Amino acid sequence: MRPLDAKLLRDIWRMRMHAAGIVLVLGCGLAVLIMAVGMRASLEKTRLQYYADKHMADLAVSLVRAPDRLAPVMENAPGVAAVETRISGYALLDLPQVAEPVSARLISLPRQGRPRVNDLALTAGRWPDPAHPEEALVNEAFATALRLRPGSPLDAILHGHRQRLVITGIANSPEFVFVTAPGEMFPQPERFAVIWMGRDALGEAYDMRGAFNDAVIRLAAGADIRAATRAIDDTLTPYGSAGATGRDRMMSDRFLSEELSQLGILASFIPTFFLIVAAFLVNISMGRVIATERANIGLLKAFGYSDLAIAWHYAESALIFGTLGLIAGIAAGTVYGRFIAGMYRQYYHFPNLEFSASLPTLILAAAASFAAAGLGAWNAVARAARLPPAEALAPPQPANYAQGGGLFHGFAEGLDAKSRIILRRIVRFPRRAATTALGIGLAISILIVTQSFPAEMTYMLDVHFGLANRQDVTLTLSEPQEAGVLHDIERLPGVITVEPFRIDGVAFSKDQRRVEEALFGLAEGATLNRLIGRDLSVIAPPTEGVWLSRPLARKLEARAGDDITIEQLRGRRIRATVRVAGIIDPMIGSSAYMSLGNLSSLMREPGRISGAYLRLDPAAYAAFTARLKQTPALMGASFVSLAERSMRKNFNEHMGLMTAIYSSFAAIMAGGVAFSAARVTLAEQERDLATLRVLGFSRLEVSYVLIGEIMVLALLSLPFAVLFGTGMAIWMTHLFSTENFAFPYVFDPAGYAFAISFTLACVLVAALVVRGAVDRLDMVGVLKARD
Amino acid sequence: MTASFSLRGVNKQYGKGATAVHALSDVSVDIQDGELLMLVGPSGSGKSTLLNILGGLDHATSGEVRFRDALLTAMSDRDLTAYRRRHVGFIFQFYNLIPSLTAHENVDLVREIADNPLSAADALALVGLTGRMDHFPAQLSGGEQQRVAVARAIAKRPAILLCDEPTGALDLQTGAQVLEALSEINRLYKSTTLIITHNADIARMGARVVRFADGRVREIETNATPAKPFELVW
Repeated sequence: MRPLDAKLLRDIWRMRMHAAGIVLVLGCGLAVLIMAVGMRASLEKTRLQYYADKHMADLAVSLVRAPDRLAPVMENAPGVAAVETRISGYALLDLPQVAEPVSARLISLPRQGRPRVNDLALTAGRWPDPAHPEEALVNEAFATALRLRPGSPLDAILHGHRQRLVITGIANSPEFVFVTAPGEMFPQPERFAVIWMGRDALGEAYDMRGAFNDAVIRLAAGADIRAATRAIDDTLTPYGSAGATGRDRMMSDRFLSEELSQLGILASFIPTFFLIVAAFLVNISMGRVIATERANIGLLKAFGYSDLAIAWHYAESALIFGTLGLIAGIAAGTVYGRFIAGMYRQYYHFPNLEFSASLPTLILAAAASFAAAGLGAWNAVARAARLPPAEALAPPQPANYAQGGGLFHGFAEGLDAKSRIILRRIVRFPRRAATTALGIGLAISILIVTQSFPAEMTYMLDVHFGLANRQDVTLTLSEPQEAGVLHDIERLPGVITVEPFRIDGVAFSKDQRRVEEALFGLAEGATLNRLIGRDLSVIAPPTEGVWLSRPLARKLEARAGDDITIEQLRGRRIRATVRVAGIIDPMIGSSAYMSLGNLSSLMREPGRISGAYLRLDPAAYAAFTARLKQTPALMGASFVSLAERSMRKNFNEHMGLMTAIYSSFAAIMAGGVAFSAARVTLAEQERDLATLRVLGFSRLEVSYVLIGEIMVLALLSLPFAVLFGTGMAIWMTHLFSTENFAFPYVFDPAGYAFAISFTLACVLVAALVVRGAVDRLDMVGVLKARD
Repeated sequence: MTASFSLRGVNKQYGKGATAVHALSDVSVDIQDGELLMLVGPSGSGKSTLLNILGGLDHATSGEVRFRDALLTAMSDRDLTAYRRRHVGFIFQFYNLIPSLTAHENVDLVREIADNPLSAADALALVGLTGRMDHFPAQLSGGEQQRVAVARAIAKRPAILLCDEPTGALDLQTGAQVLEALSEINRLYKSTTLIITHNADIARMGARVVRFADGRVREIETNATPAKPFELVW
């Protein structure tokens, strides 16, 4: 081993505590980077592979009823590779192990062979036998949640008729990687089933013999998607088609795409934070090494080592930090990635979703690690290279405190000598003080950011369930019905209040822009289900015209007072022009809203409603659910308390864990910064502290100088930390907001208090640990040595 | 005259077994109150070790060290801190001023911990630095910095002044100024003053000169007429 290499290893060993801090912080940042980039790539790859293997549809269309003979016509449309016409409908399931009826989407399987579009991956059992109309497949998430197996029976109310089905197999579909009930934003696997049955069985049940009401289409590679869509629409529009839509309107794929983009944000945002702090730690520790190594640098140069050789010698330390950080990051990132993959498997139902960090991911992580370590070391290394040997060998002059600090002069006079030492050091070396304060401030900021996630989610859930959705049950009818149905609903056992609503799928257009969205008709004076703005105000439906949610208005480039065209996507395809009454900011959803009366009149179905919100007498709950299971003409029944319970449980389990992970990463960062800053302060002040000890100052008095300085810097960092942390938290809410969720920034005093007190505690503990070194100060050794 | 220090069979050993270094071996000596004593000898002969033990910065391995009636060798770290605080003034070769405090403030520092200190202005006047009181260490020459260190050491009117090569980093003239200040203080305040030096000529300043070799006291020489600092040449 060359002597310089031996020196390098010993130097690193000497600064091992610093090195451990740097490696830990780098490791945390790289772990998040590797997890997010690797997970994103794994998810993307799995999705592509799954879609390719199972022939995921490029277009989907639902319609009222079209004859089977149209299938070949569609097949011949330009760019179409394969078409699967299907019968699709909704049903309620009556399961003995669940009190409430469960909603289900039913989809037909081809008479022969497997679906050519949206094929299924069977995870257990066998395909249904077309000769047995009762046989069915169910989606894996539902089967797992309710412990259903091949052979389990299922009682369904199909189109008003109760029918007993038998499960023959459990399946996954590329169409339902992410499964939510219609109108729901979050998955509740035990509350919603996807059931695949024989074509004839469903044709019988839905009175669709020789016809279909749903089609999925796969396009040839390089096909013109617009031309294909036009051709399909031309064929199916006369049959009540709502218009073919691409993958961007398919719920499951849309959620997946949003998840991928959020992983992208995560991959860039959090690691950047950590890498900056790691660079900062490298900067202060290398700066300190170079300062203590002055004489050695002079000596090496006097021996004939070139500036470059000296620079390389010190740069190697940074490379070693980068390498160790990378190793720690890969190890932690892989564990973290596998954990996240396990969590994703609960939400995204792929046949196989495994985390793997690809070579490009690892190269990216390595580049980030060396960039952070290199940038951090740059200053110090350049200083070492530039140091003239004669100057390096001469004893350094004491820092000149006569410069600067004029403003604080009077203030300093009023302090005792120890406090004056603290103040003058901070004022004389503002950059050094600012670097330490910045590091501590960043640690507090990232804790503020991580603490804000749960506060925001809790707030959203509180608003969603506490203010907006105050009903106990939402009943959705299969088709809009006369308001008279409300009387039937009112007569269900235990119903206290009933509020009708209407929902129409429509295409909004303005100039050349066209957006398909849901248009809600809200009852005036509603008390159960209300539209809540970001300022928590209740938004009443407009007396005239339509409210547009901001994301929808943005897409349409519509403003209050503009006229827009709406076109009903089903049924009679009513077209009408309405005025935009205003733009609103709901927290959840990107729809449009009218008064119930105006909407039903507009659709030329005055008084017809799509469903109702119900408030129930808890004492009659069992009787209500039992009756509901017998009720035909219902498409779905959503139980708000069940949804809330399931969401809060999910949130506590997953979001809580994620927050704990990020908080512990942030804590590592805070500890690293604090310890490093305390070590450096001690190293710089060692001689002064030893002098004070020799003069007869007690350990406590001497510790005051050391701990005082770092605590003052920590306190000075607070305004920056709070402002920057808040700014980042607000920015994060924007980054993570999607079309459907406008995350609010929530000021959570407890989160701020935790972020600040935790970091200050870290700083204090670090300073106290380092203070131990004051007790062990070799007073004579320090004082007899030249600076 | 009463004995300020009384040492009996003092040993100091660093390390154990084969690697043990005997820094002091069986040192017994009495030092009188107000005496100006010079400690000379080659590097590693034990002078600094003795000074550190007398100053309460280090413990003897065995033997007895008494300061007046107090047994230093039996004192805890806390007691030794209090002993330094009350009785001892230190001066090192490399001044060890606090760079962030002015000359005046550096001296004033000890006033925070001493019972009946001199004013910083008086202490600085004694070393001839009245005009440089508000200068920071970086604005002072080496000799001036060392004189501030002397002023700081004497400001608490210490019973004992321990100087470890106080002129080691200074030229002849500034060194003489520092020694003059030390001699003056010894005369005025009767502080027992111990000065380590490598320089045979400087040693002529002391009333007694203790010569060290290999951790032992080889010789104690008495000077009937100690030399004045400005008579010295080195």
